[in-house]
Amino acid sequence: MSLKIAVLIKQVPDHEAIVQIGADGTLDIEDRYVCSFFDEIAIEAALDIRKAHADAEILALSVGGKRSVESLRRAMAMGLDQVEQLGDDSMDGADGLGVASLIAARLKTFNPDLVLAGKQAGDDDMGAVGPMVSGLMGIPLVNAATAIDVDADGGKVRMTHSMNGETWTVESGFPVVVTAQKGLAEPHVPVVMRVMKAMRAKIINTSTEDLGVSAADSTGRLKRLGYYSPPTRPQVQMVGDVNELVAVLAQRGVI
Amino acid sequence: MACNEIWAVARIRDGQITGAGLQLIEAARELAREKGLDARAVLLGCDRATADELAGVVNGVLWLNDERLNEYDAAVHAGALFGLMEARGKPVAIFAGTNDTDSEVVPRLAAMCGAAFASSCVKIRWEGDDLAIRRPVFGGKVYEELALLSRPAMVTVRPGAFDGAQKLAAPGSVEEISVEIPASSGVTVVERASSAQGGQDLSDARRVVAGGRGVSGESYQKVEALADALDGSIAASRALVDAGERPHEQQVGKSGKTISPDLYIACGISGAIHHVLGMNTSKVVVAVNSDPDAPIFAAADLGMVGDVMEILPALAEALRARK
Ligand SMILES: Cc1cc2nc3c(=O)[nH]c(=O)nc-3n(C[C@H](O)[C@H](O)[C@H](O)COP(=O)(O)OP(=O)(O)OC[C@H]3O[C@@H](n4cnc5c(N)ncnc54)[C@H](O)[C@@H]3O)c2cc1C
Repeated sequence: MSLKIAVLIKQVPDHEAIVQIGADGTLDIEDRYVCSFFDEIAIEAALDIRKAHADAEILALSVGGKRSVESLRRAMAMGLDQVEQLGDDSMDGADGLGVASLIAARLKTFNPDLVLAGKQAGDDDMGAVGPMVSGLMGIPLVNAATAIDVDADGGKVRMTHSMNGETWTVESGFPVVVTAQKGLAEPHVPVVMRVMKAMRAKIINTSTEDLGVSAADSTGRLKRLGYYSPPTRPQVQMVGDVNELVAVLAQRGVI
Repeated sequence: MACNEIWAVARIRDGQITGAGLQLIEAARELAREKGLDARAVLLGCDRATADELAGVVNGVLWLNDERLNEYDAAVHAGALFGLMEARGKPVAIFAGTNDTDSEVVPRLAAMCGAAFASSCVKIRWEGDDLAIRRPVFGGKVYEELALLSRPAMVTVRPGAFDGAQKLAAPGSVEEISVEIPASSGVTVVERASSAQGGQDLSDARRVVAGGRGVSGESYQKVEALADALDGSIAASRALVDAGERPHEQQVGKSGKTISPDLYIACGISGAIHHVLGMNTSKVVVAVNSDPDAPIFAAADLGMVGDVMEILPALAEALRARK
């Protein structure tokens, strides 16, 4: 039986994109979107696994409107051929549980052995979807993995992750949800030809109705009250020599 | 069924409540007090002595006294908390940490009971009868404020967001509760290796000396020597972790640890937003950098411009002289 892997991905503003609070209190986000940093690591990890398991079937899923299609094209350009958009722009305001519910509904029929996701998305940095999919499906979870080794015949996966100051090597049977930390894989830059091909590909869409999930159920738990600038520190005090520094540190009570 | 409580999930290390754990209890105490609710610490497993110690800082301890909870398993811990909710009723809110275990357990639990979940909160307040939290988004470029409209509201709180809870005048009560404990999810631990810090979690360190590209190679020893003089822990920027010079557990920042020590000394670190996000809740930040325009100075309380190779040994010396 061939190994089945689902990869969950999302399109987010590039980490260098300018994000600021506009005059009306909403966000002005520079129009530079990319597949989220940790999600690309998850894609690459799936590709790495396929190197050892040539018949592995990998399905990339992204929830939401037209931006989600862009992340799926990136996944194709990187080497995945089966991709699917879930829902539409009515899901763009969904919370993590809304997104996870749609994904869990789709995974019921795909029946993956392994679900790979980024440990958090580059926009809301919530870290919700991977663990929530595991909770909804009632399957094991390993967060922020830095190494993964799949033994398809033995029906198990071995992973490494950092746990409160220790490095744990853990083992799980199938299916399991694993979220990607930096180090799990090194995403490659796809060649131009594949990028062009991915741009022309038709992307399959599965609607919320098809999955029996209502987009309306995916909101209503969280209400955004506003955006704020990051907290700032008072102007830095420059000191000339180490004795002065030690004196100030002592005065502040931290040494 | 509901109960008028706020639960703080107690995380214990070597039989001690962690610093971040005391802050969670304080968060629960402060927010409960404002609305006439009860703050409770939930202790998963452990022993009587730990339960009693918790009762010193919170009016009530809900102790799930079951040894099957002593070994961490995300599904078992989430399931036990779910069971506690069934037995006792849904609390108004559950507060947990941004540590590696709670980051698995809490969103998993939120999915099991359809609750609102928000991670990495730096502020919590009441907005009417709902909890409103503030948290960094877009890698810390802006902060959002969200109201959590479900009961319970589930929140992971960043270290440094609250002060640690002080001892109560009279200790609280310990209530032993037995709930159904689900079977293991099937994740088994094959090996636990302590990190280069001898198993000490950087997240709990009070004083941290961090080195970046400006102290790569041999010069990182100067960072270690300074940390030694301070009885502190060492950390690194991603530049050194990517270069394979430092282990990932020592990385501070967006793709590493978020820490809030009393003192953070950044040595030869430029101060990229991804790095700053991991340390900007530290109490006092010192930056040492040869470039007077390095962005790290904007994230620091105290700064020294100069060569780390000269400043770090001199600083270590001055600290030793003081002892
Ligand atoms: C998605 C994403 C996630 C990231 N996550 C993290 C993260 O978790 N943590 C993190 O740290 N980074 C992270 N980064 C990387 C981050 O953007 C920076 O590239 C990184 O922090 C730079 O490390 P650095 O400051 O050590 O190196 P540099 O930026 O190269 O800075 C070196 C500094 O050392 C100073 N210096 C050099 N020599 C000396 C000397 N002799 N004496 C004194 N000063 C000297 C220089 O003036 C300079 O300011 C992330 C990036 C991305 C895109």
